[in-house]
Amino acid sequence: MSNENILEINQISKNYERKIALSSLSFVVEKGELIALIGPSGAGKTTLLNLLATILQPDSGEIIVDGKPITQYADQKKRAKKIGIIRQQFDLVGQLAVIHNVLAGRLADWGFFKSLFSLFIPQEKQVAIKALERVGLPDKQYERTSNLSGGEQQRVALARLLMQKPEIILADEPVASLDPARADDILDMLTKIAKEEHQTVIASLHSVEYARKYFTRLIALKNGELFFDLPADQVTDEQLQKLYQLKELN
Amino acid sequence: MKKRKFTFLTFSFYAFLFLIAASWYFVIGVKNASFLELFSKENVAYASKFFKGLFGVGQEEIAFLNRDSWSHAFTLTIETLQMSIMAIGFSTIVMFLTVIPAARNVADGTLTLSRKWYRWVVFSLIRISYIFSRAIPELVWAMIIIFIFKPGILPGAIALALHNFGILGKLCAEVIEDTDYRPIRNLASAGAGRAQILMYGVLPTVLPQFLSYILYRWEVIMRTTIVVGFVGAGGLGQEFKLSMSFFHYTEITLLLICYLILVIIADFISEKSRFFVK
Amino acid sequence: MLSFDLHKRKVLTLFLLLLFAWSLFGVNWQEGVLHSSGIGTAAEIFAAMLTPDLSLDILRLAVESSWLTLAYATAGMSLALILALIIGVLASGVLASGKSSRTLMKGSFRGVLGFMRAIHELVWAWLFVASFGLSPYAAIFALAIPYGGILGRIFADMINDVPEEPILALKAAGASKLQCLFYGYLPSVKNSMISYTMYRYECAVRSSAIMSFVGLGGLGYQIQLSLDDLHYGEVWTFIYFLIILVILIDGWSNMLRKRMQL
Repeated sequence: MSNENILEINQISKNYERKIALSSLSFVVEKGELIALIGPSGAGKTTLLNLLATILQPDSGEIIVDGKPITQYADQKKRAKKIGIIRQQFDLVGQLAVIHNVLAGRLADWGFFKSLFSLFIPQEKQVAIKALERVGLPDKQYERTSNLSGGEQQRVALARLLMQKPEIILADEPVASLDPARADDILDMLTKIAKEEHQTVIASLHSVEYARKYFTRLIALKNGELFFDLPADQVTDEQLQKLYQLKELN
Repeated sequence: MKKRKFTFLTFSFYAFLFLIAASWYFVIGVKNASFLELFSKENVAYASKFFKGLFGVGQEEIAFLNRDSWSHAFTLTIETLQMSIMAIGFSTIVMFLTVIPAARNVADGTLTLSRKWYRWVVFSLIRISYIFSRAIPELVWAMIIIFIFKPGILPGAIALALHNFGILGKLCAEVIEDTDYRPIRNLASAGAGRAQILMYGVLPTVLPQFLSYILYRWEVIMRTTIVVGFVGAGGLGQEFKLSMSFFHYTEITLLLICYLILVIIADFISEKSRFFVK
Repeated sequence: MLSFDLHKRKVLTLFLLLLFAWSLFGVNWQEGVLHSSGIGTAAEIFAAMLTPDLSLDILRLAVESSWLTLAYATAGMSLALILALIIGVLASGVLASGKSSRTLMKGSFRGVLGFMRAIHELVWAWLFVASFGLSPYAAIFALAIPYGGILGRIFADMINDVPEEPILALKAAGASKLQCLFYGYLPSVKNSMISYTMYRYECAVRSSAIMSFVGLGGLGYQIQLSLDDLHYGEVWTFIYFLIILVILIDGWSNMLRKRMQL
């Protein structure tokens, strides 16, 4: 086992009641890689990400994070140091001010009283403001989060990730509800930050152009199985066409 | 599926019609309550004497023109106001203490992201206490409480609180049940522990609606203070009963006026605070 | 500087806490708040919770009183519904022609509804009994008026919340005001109206129970009698019947509301 491997997926399967979501999936991820997960809807991308985020458990197979099985990261706080997640629907607490949502990235390290106190007088404010500056929202700290636009909210989610500093960033369709200009913005920011902080990114995208533009490796899933796993520049158009092709009616 | 729903709805509809018909039949037929009898000569005479009394016709001392009675009534009004605030205060405290385990999505673990078997037990116990609390009318609570406490506004407040914490608890538990779990799940992914999820995720989202319900119940409590006063729980209601017993009609009118003013103010405050809470 | 928005809530909370503290001063804590035998009596009463009187006579009385309570509640609600529909529609202003007459209509009928709601049903009951004597109509009207007021106000609000566009389309197709009401407004709010009425029906049953305090028979009256006789077991029997009645209606109402959430 190379020390460079931050993530190892071994033969994982996941079934839902009548559907096979993932079957015998295996691949290895090195630290610092920028991976895009692509494939048609229902291919199992979200299931895979939820498995990696420990929201779901695999029916068989194992996931190894930084040399240890993922089950050892059952403690939420320990897991949050390794794995962070950003989603399509930002999932921020709309009622809170932006700064509290950003500071929530530090909750893994804060105790009860510090967390409570911070709601009245924000703690570690400077770090949070720096994070907000990095994502281009320097003067939005005290705005109510739900008042921000979609693109701005996703940037707040990125700022929270900056506070959390996980080693692996999982992104589940992070730009699906944004217009093309914002989407480019976010993906650019995400990949740049990941490179600067030496973080590994696994992002599921439904746009192949974005995948090729910002990521170094493409893993394609179709019907729960690995369709191909190649560096971004080696993926051919023909492969992509086959990937997204609808099943022919017999 | 559609056919089944249709049948239950139509069944209910006819059941209601039947119930309404049966009730009216009972009232008119069985109990022989004659509507026209209400307007019989004696009744009308009696009623008009009563109303004239309320307006002060033919009375020697007209209470609502008397300065002392107004100041007395004013003191009582303040007392009644305090009773209502105490009552809603007690209700709110009990609600906050019990509401989180009383939400279905806490009991089954979807909100707190942890499953423990004892949560269902706690959930059931709290929900049963809510049902007890709200099914027993305030007046019944008041009558029981009066046995235990000396007369004054405290028993009134406690009786009102005992009835209302169940209502408030149920309404607020439903708010928690309706919260979007996605920001919660996201906080957990960021590493928040249970208490932190509560502080950062649940409370900010539910507090506005909680406040709205609290104000709504306060308004209802305000109207009910006069009723618990009847059985000796102080305030305007108790004085009302006294005046009734002594047939001091004009005092009754005075107290009614104060009562109406209180209710209108409570209604007004409740409406205006809605904007504040948004 | 923190924006006013966030400050607002904290200031409000602080203010409410102070208000609560002030209210506690209304009680004379020095002289002791409990009766000397208070705790003892409380214990007795609560102990009886587990031993309700289940003798045949009491049970029969309980069933009769429950039916009485239910019948008065139902009759009262049926009247309240009629009142609410009429006055509520008028209070929503959709039948008015022209802006000023609409404001006048809304204002005056909302005022009427407000007055109906403001007075507690027991006060209405007492007023009716004092003027008309102990007739069941006293209870029924005493329920119908405040509940009509509550329902009417909510109905008016619901009608006012109906989106403009479908109504304008109907108007453009040539519908008169009444037609708009029946084709546009009422179908949209029908489900919400039924749902809310069911919710209030449960409240009405409880109100009807305490209505009987003014002497009109029913569960409340029985509870009062038994309390005066210190027969705590009987008191709890009646309370349990009341709870069962409330749960039944609550359950029915929930099932209906779930099925109507289409």
